[in-house]
Amino acid sequence: MGKVTFTILRFDPEKDKKPHYQDYEVEIRRPGMMVLDGLNQIRWEQDGTLAYRRSCREGVCGSDALNINGVNRLGCITHLEDLKTPVVIQPLPSMPLIKDLIVDLNDFQDKFFLCKPFLIPKKPLPDLEQLQSPEDRRKLDGLYECILCASCSSSCPSYWADPEYLGPSALLNIWRFVVDSRDVGADERLQLLNDRHGVWRCHTILNCIEACPKGLNPTQAIGGLKKALVSAKF
Amino acid sequence: MALNFVSGRTGAFDWLFQRISGVVLALILGLHFIILHLISGGEYEYEVIMTRLANPSWKVFYFCFLFFALYHAMNGAKILIDDYIHHPRLRTLLLSLDWLLAIVLFLYGTLIILMHQAPAVKG
Ligand code: SF4
Repeated sequence: MGKVTFTILRFDPEKDKKPHYQDYEVEIRRPGMMVLDGLNQIRWEQDGTLAYRRSCREGVCGSDALNINGVNRLGCITHLEDLKTPVVIQPLPSMPLIKDLIVDLNDFQDKFFLCKPFLIPKKPLPDLEQLQSPEDRRKLDGLYECILCASCSSSCPSYWADPEYLGPSALLNIWRFVVDSRDVGADERLQLLNDRHGVWRCHTILNCIEACPKGLNPTQAIGGLKKALVSAKF
Repeated sequence: MALNFVSGRTGAFDWLFQRISGVVLALILGLHFIILHLISGGEYEYEVIMTRLANPSWKVFYFCFLFFALYHAMNGAKILIDDYIHHPRLRTLLLSLDWLLAIVLFLYGTLIILMHQAPAVKG
């Protein structure tokens, strides 16, 4: 069924001074093959030293976010037949490179945890479950689905320019709790991002929307946060 | 990761007034364009423009133009500095220069607007 060339960025911190590209031929063995299938084929059959992250292989765990032909996407849900060849695969931009396609996500995750990504409930707690109306529940659609793959943040020029900027992913996840009718932590959360490295670094460049494999809209969430902050102040 | 809480100005003000000044500028610019190019039919003679500028209402109009244009430009540059300059001392230096330049241009522009007199009618 033919072959596809993968041009992959390689970097071994123990051997290489700087990254370089290496070409591999991937055999198309069945229709519907994904980029991750190609990477697995290379690693299992041609070159066991190729390093990349993967886990669920169905777009749920967020492990295999990669820069594929210049766009951040998940390797496991990107069809090979939709891509121009050669397929150029690089690690997520702007994140510190560890090895080959693996980047250091510590800073990205720290920024997420800084947002208190958990429900801060009203006290005293109810005896049974906290109820939420179907309308209020619907406000969380398009927010709760984030899988923390980092595609959005690493596609954002503001994130590249300011290493302390919280980034679209963390901000979308703050908004997810601010609009949750069961949560009372809005004020303390909004405090965290009314800052030079918070929402005001977003200039609606919209790369994050294009990058998000779950079809979420971080720019809109940031817009909601900006409005909330401005109306609290003026 | 340490968040920087030291600045009293967080960005909410800058963000809101960049938008407000943008809208005001669009209106003023539109009006300026219509007056200069459509109504006065492209007459750019010294006397015509000087006579207009001598009128107090036009002085107020051009004073607003000056103020909003300079604010919008100064604030835009401030936002760029906030985006890209993270060294605290360099940032302070550039932000001070930004303000200084805006104030100097504002004073100079105000002086020009205020000093305009109607030209003496040629005899
Ligand atoms: S918002 Fe989308 S792109 Fe960003 S981390 Fe969540 S799932 Fe990934």
